[in-house]
Amino acid sequence: MKDHAQFAEDLALYAMGALDEQARRELETHLGTCGECRREVEALRADLALVAMSATGPQPPQRSRQRLMDAIATGQREESKVRTMPPPQRGWPRWLILAPVAAALVLAAVCGVLMVQVQRLQQALAVERQNSEQARQVVRALIDPAAQRMTLVAATRRPPRIKTIYEKKKGLVVLIADSLDPIPDDKVYQLWLLPANGGDPMPAGTFSIDSSGNKVMIHNLGSMGIDAKAFAVTVEPTGGSKTPTMPIVYAPEG
Amino acid sequence: MAGTQAPNQQDDAALIARLRARDEHAMADLYDRYSGIVYGVALRVLGDTTAAEDVLQEVFLQLWRRPQAFDADRGKLAPWLAVIARNRAIDLLRRRPAEDDISELPISTGVNLEDTAGRRLAVEKVRGVLTGLPQEQRKALEMAFFEGMTHTEISAKTGEPLGTIKTRIRSALSAVRKAFA
Repeated sequence: MKDHAQFAEDLALYAMGALDEQARRELETHLGTCGECRREVEALRADLALVAMSATGPQPPQRSRQRLMDAIATGQREESKVRTMPPPQRGWPRWLILAPVAAALVLAAVCGVLMVQVQRLQQALAVERQNSEQARQVVRALIDPAAQRMTLVAATRRPPRIKTIYEKKKGLVVLIADSLDPIPDDKVYQLWLLPANGGDPMPAGTFSIDSSGNKVMIHNLGSMGIDAKAFAVTVEPTGGSKTPTMPIVYAPEG
Repeated sequence: MAGTQAPNQQDDAALIARLRARDEHAMADLYDRYSGIVYGVALRVLGDTTAAEDVLQEVFLQLWRRPQAFDADRGKLAPWLAVIARNRAIDLLRRRPAEDDISELPISTGVNLEDTAGRRLAVEKVRGVLTGLPQEQRKALEMAFFEGMTHTEISAKTGEPLGTIKTRIRSALSAVRKAFA
């Protein structure tokens, strides 16, 4: 298990996305609890931005400016041309040229198979993107110095724990639940935001834990800029409630 | 008052405010001010003018569509755009799915990047630092930052242990930071 000093060595690579998957995940867990490392990541990002700016100089072609203004004026969605680097050139295999009919049949069959594969890949990619996007949101919340952090502990027992990270400007709450107790199948846990202005608790997402009692949830409040005094968790019927049902099972420490 | 300043004297916050008000000319002003940075970074990463131009279009269009993605209170546009351009170009280079890079967190720096002169100075200074680095440090930083290689890939390519790669990159960045301290 890495110690703080070892994690500190990884910060520069992390700041530019050059850590591979596992090292990145381990470091992000560390960042969740280490303010010093979070601040260093912020400073490194600034250093890297300067490095990026060292490439300033070459001017884009004249037409680019007009192309941009045209796209904006017509309000078109510029389809991302996503010009990937061209693949290596391949010649046509000989048999394709020499046997057109057979080739056509084979091609049709191959295309059919490829279509299915493409569809499956697209579905997998969509799921992956969702997971990646979720992971990215968690990461951004973890390293954002302005996010409000709170650890919720069981009101009556330990050691189950819930961490909440609230990004007020985005109206996003990240919840990381750890070793919570199981609850009946017809119930869910529900997170509440307790507004600083003393207003009613706001629903902030329902969640169910996995077999280890863990859960990561990202909830979009739908409203931004709400000052939060605290967060709390209750147990509610499946689907959640509009107002919390007592007792509060998780509340901020102290 | 920001609204009465000549466009080339308006600060980032004023330009973004005009953007939010859907002032298309603000986009032209932003382009004139920052296209050199965005295009330069993209070209550095991709080495292809057409691809770099596509990145340029994408980044500015995204900014037009979501000006609220940039928080003028917490950072400056120049470094923010530079990093977004780099990330988008790396995604393209490494054939990764397009991420929503415009949601990049603000970059807060004490360096003056608000005006043309300040930016020019900063670019000269950082170029000087990078040129002055020991070659293995500069190479490691370039591979990670401008080529998007992971630390494992760099280690494999150079034959150097992971720890050495990490140290070289940290030293390079430390030199940059010292130069601007």
